[in-house]
Amino acid sequence: MPKVKRSRKPPPEGWELIEPTLEEIEQKMREAETETHEGKRKVESLWPIFKTHHQKSRYVYDLFHKRKAISRELYDYCIKEGFADKNLIAKWKKQGYENLCCLRCIQARDTNFGTNCICRVPKSKLEEGRIVECVHCGCRGCSG
Amino acid sequence: MAASKSTNTYNRQNWEESDFPILCQTCLGDNPYIRMTKEKFGRECKICDRPFTIFRWCPGARMRFKKTEVCQTCSKTKNVCQTCLLDLEYGLPIQVRDAALSIKDDMPKSEVNKEYYSQNIDRQIANVDGVQAAGAVGKAQAPSDLLMKLARTTPYYKRNRPHICSFWVKGECRRGEECPYRHERPTDPDDPLADQNIKDRFYGTNDPVADKLMRRADTMPKLEPPDDKTVTTLYVGGLGDKVTEENLRNHFYQFGEIRSINVVQKQQCSFVTFTTRSAAEQAAEKSFQKLILKGRRLNVKWGKSQGQQGVTAKSIEGGKEPQYEPVPGLPGALPLPPMPSDGSQPSNFFNLDQDDAQLPPLPGGPMGPMGGGPGGPPGRLPQGPPPRMMQRQQPPPPGAFGFPPSTFPSTPWLSWTSSIPSWSSSPTPGDTSTTSRCQTPYSSPRG
Repeated sequence: MPKVKRSRKPPPEGWELIEPTLEEIEQKMREAETETHEGKRKVESLWPIFKTHHQKSRYVYDLFHKRKAISRELYDYCIKEGFADKNLIAKWKKQGYENLCCLRCIQARDTNFGTNCICRVPKSKLEEGRIVECVHCGCRGCSG
Repeated sequence: MAASKSTNTYNRQNWEESDFPILCQTCLGDNPYIRMTKEKFGRECKICDRPFTIFRWCPGARMRFKKTEVCQTCSKTKNVCQTCLLDLEYGLPIQVRDAALSIKDDMPKSEVNKEYYSQNIDRQIANVDGVQAAGAVGKAQAPSDLLMKLARTTPYYKRNRPHICSFWVKGECRRGEECPYRHERPTDPDDPLADQNIKDRFYGTNDPVADKLMRRADTMPKLEPPDDKTVTTLYVGGLGDKVTEENLRNHFYQFGEIRSINVVQKQQCSFVTFTTRSAAEQAAEKSFQKLILKGRRLNVKWGKSQGQQGVTAKSIEGGKEPQYEPVPGLPGALPLPPMPSDGSQPSNFFNLDQDDAQLPPLPGGPMGPMGGGPGGPPGRLPQGPPPRMMQRQQPPPPGAFGFPPSTFPSTPWLSWTSSIPSWSSSPTPGDTSTTSRCQTPYSSPRG
């Protein structure tokens, strides 16, 4: 089923240009939701969800803030309809958080000692050539 | 069992709360900075099944997170670390420690008995201060040599490693580099060390690690007293240049009266002879593998009978000393005069007046390593009865001293023979007695 529109008003101009890409990413999200859990860790099943979510928001953020290819109106429309995450984009605007993977990884209340996730540690500070896949979103390092 | 914290707390086994875990250094790891989480009533104790406070921490880089497995009451009863269940002082399994210290601590294992016991211990512990271990272990605290020898000297961090990746063992590990578990061969399932059980380890029964250690303890070198009951000499080797006779005397006097000490500096060894056999045995027990003088560990063994340097420690030298043919023409060795076993004054075997100061100074003769200083000390030699044996009042007990007059030798280590009007006309070196020129079966007239 096509995505249900949340507002009654028709989408602003430029919508037709971005709609196919957004639709494609939506489709990917649906697939991630319906995948089986076989052969995966319990947490690993959720990683594609976070990845796709990041991807969608990234597309919209890129178009508006970086490439300035869409209008403010269309940007607000995308956020309102749920194609991009407002809070995640707010973080990307901050220095040091430009490539943040997901919002869970900076939530200090979720950790035992009130720290950020291991994926937030820059690779230069993380010794031993260690590969990390963070447990929340499977990120391999989002700031270094 | 208390179902919640507000139900009956009198005379029941209550849930345990604590502020700080009881842990050994190895479990804590090499990093002096540790972050530890505390969870009230996080798990049940593996032994007494009571909810207790769980502490969880990371013992170092690339180590698995460890947590306390047994409650503090159980760990205090046996004086062990809450995680690894090894003794806090020695780091040894409970079974080994109990065997060495002869502690018989019969904790009940069945359900209700167990609860009753641990509830009582709980109350006892609450009354005593936390330094001494409760129960049988606290009472028997003489430091044990065997345990100190068996204990490790450096921490063994291999215990804290992550477990083996079971997916990798099957060939299915998809995590690859990132996998925190060990990608190594698992231990052999036939190895007896592979089936360990926490309850067995705690109660001290059937512990394969303990069995292995005790087997090792049995094969450690032991010093057996030689069967020859008259030997009271200890061979002390590895002296170096620093250890002197004075040092040896100062150490060994505590075991009993020293008959003599002879140091052979050239071979860096010495022989310490005691007057009593029991003193020698005690000295051997206290010094074998333990004596360190002037920073050098001395090699203490039993010596052979006087005058010979030799080893009779049981497990070390299995071979026999080369047996030499007795030289034809020489008389056999004299048996030693019997030494009293109760340590009373050196034998008045010949029933002579003691303290006879009129003895002529006995010439030394080749005294061998036994003898001590050169030349006989003036006055009474402790080993030689004065040469009035010919006029002895009582006949000697048969067999101990009986020798026919014809086998009268000038044996080098019994110097008193040299001053007796010698029947032998072959003078020993240093012998100043008159030699008669009578013929004996063993010698021809000289000169």
